Amino acid sequence: MRNASLPAKRLYWGTPLQRNLLGVAVVVLVLGAWELLARAKASIYLPPVSAIATTFVHEWFSPQFGEHALPSLMRMLAGYAIASVLGVALGVLIGAYRPLFRLLDPFLQFLRAIPPSAIIPVGILLIGIGDAMKIVVICFGAFWPILVNAADGARNVPGERLDTARIFGVSPTDQLLSVTFPSALPGIFAGLRTGLSIAFIMIVVSEMIGSTNGLGYYILQAQRTFAIPEMYGGIVLLAILGYTLNAGFLALEHRVLAWHHGQSARAV
Amino acid sequence: MVASSRVAPPAFVPGLLFVAGVTVVVEILARVGLLSSYFAPPTAIVAALAQGLANGDITSQVGMTLMTFAEGLVLASVLAVVLGVLMGAIPVVYDALKMIVEFLRPIPSVAMIPLAILFLGLGAPMRVAVIAYASFWPLLISTLYGVRAVDPVALDTARNFGVPPVEALYRVTLPAALVSIATGLRVSASIALVVTVTTELVAGNSGLGFYVSQMEQASRLPSMYAGILLTGVLGYVINLIFFTLERKIVFWSPSARGTVQ
Repeated sequence: MRNASLPAKRLYWGTPLQRNLLGVAVVVLVLGAWELLARAKASIYLPPVSAIATTFVHEWFSPQFGEHALPSLMRMLAGYAIASVLGVALGVLIGAYRPLFRLLDPFLQFLRAIPPSAIIPVGILLIGIGDAMKIVVICFGAFWPILVNAADGARNVPGERLDTARIFGVSPTDQLLSVTFPSALPGIFAGLRTGLSIAFIMIVVSEMIGSTNGLGYYILQAQRTFAIPEMYGGIVLLAILGYTLNAGFLALEHRVLAWHHGQSARAV
Repeated sequence: MVASSRVAPPAFVPGLLFVAGVTVVVEILARVGLLSSYFAPPTAIVAALAQGLANGDITSQVGMTLMTFAEGLVLASVLAVVLGVLMGAIPVVYDALKMIVEFLRPIPSVAMIPLAILFLGLGAPMRVAVIAYASFWPLLISTLYGVRAVDPVALDTARNFGVPPVEALYRVTLPAALVSIATGLRVSASIALVVTVTTELVAGNSGLGFYVSQMEQASRLPSMYAGILLTGVLGYVINLIFFTLERKIVFWSPSARGTVQ
């Protein structure tokens, strides 16, 4: 932090434009080498980039998007929304009341350690292979990081904030809502971000194991039927969706936590 | 309070009592038949676990899981630390690779399973590749940030004393970045385990994930739950190991930084 105001010279070379151009040049170079290798028939599993791009446009700028991509996104958002609401509410409660935290911590730590995909077979047995199973599995995966981070955030609220609220006669419920909850927000957002990437992984996995549509089903099916450019196209679509979701989340976090960033900057 | 005159019980006692309580309640509900028949009573799960461990059914699968987990994680660690240090220490390398990293990182690792099956088939090498891919990113990013955050004063001091750049890399930069690398390693290890079990489940022919899905298809529910229980135990133990490792490394870091001032 001491050197935060001094730009460390060794980290930079050239102008920002030159630096970005180098990054783009390397991407173009890699894609060009791929194209040439593929055209030289290096491997039947390596179609040319141009073929992947054509297939991508053909497959996804079509009703196909509604058939495979939308169901995936809807399931993911449903599971993630449920996990977020439950995880934040329970996490803040558990974190705010120390006895509750002590009571539940070992139990939660253990459940959290289970790789979420391991409960897919249980989900299939109990609920079948429909949308509900996938939503439950996504919810299970995203729930734990959200819960644990919310609890940590609520547990580590600066004591003087709560003391001040108490001195001014703020009721316990109001303390929870207007002191503990906002103070825990940075932790909550850290958990929500981890939860989002886990939800994204879980939707793909659950569709690979038991499904007749969705992106996970689509890319695995494309591989099994040797529709190679389609498989690559599906992976590219997942990358774009992943990137967009993450960018959207970061923008939201930046807005909601603007007060926090401003405050920590002043503190330094 | 009543307990004020006595010695307070250790903090983990209520937690363990709660776990025991939940287990007993589930046992009773399952025995009475109030739970769906797809649940198994905890005693049956423990019996299945003991039996599987004794006759080697589960033991060999755990060994397989741990082996692929370790291979994938080691592969990822070596690549990520080397590349992370290069990108962190040399600005041109960073600028050249950042776009590719930005594009590859958001791909959910499991989406790489079909691709890996194409090139490597259904065996363990495919799983190792997917695990390595998944656990590579967190470690790369934290190594990169760790190296970039090295105190410039420390590097300048080394240069003033005539330490050659390559030597400064492993005598100044690497030790200072170790804290951040250890954190990345812990995150990578927990991701690696999740991906190990997942690939075994989706496209496995061995391992704990494969065992769980086999037991589900054979309707041997206590064995299935025993497998899931064991994945949880593995996850917990692995997290504990890397957390302890991280704490050990963080322990010396403030003093190392203190000598710089």
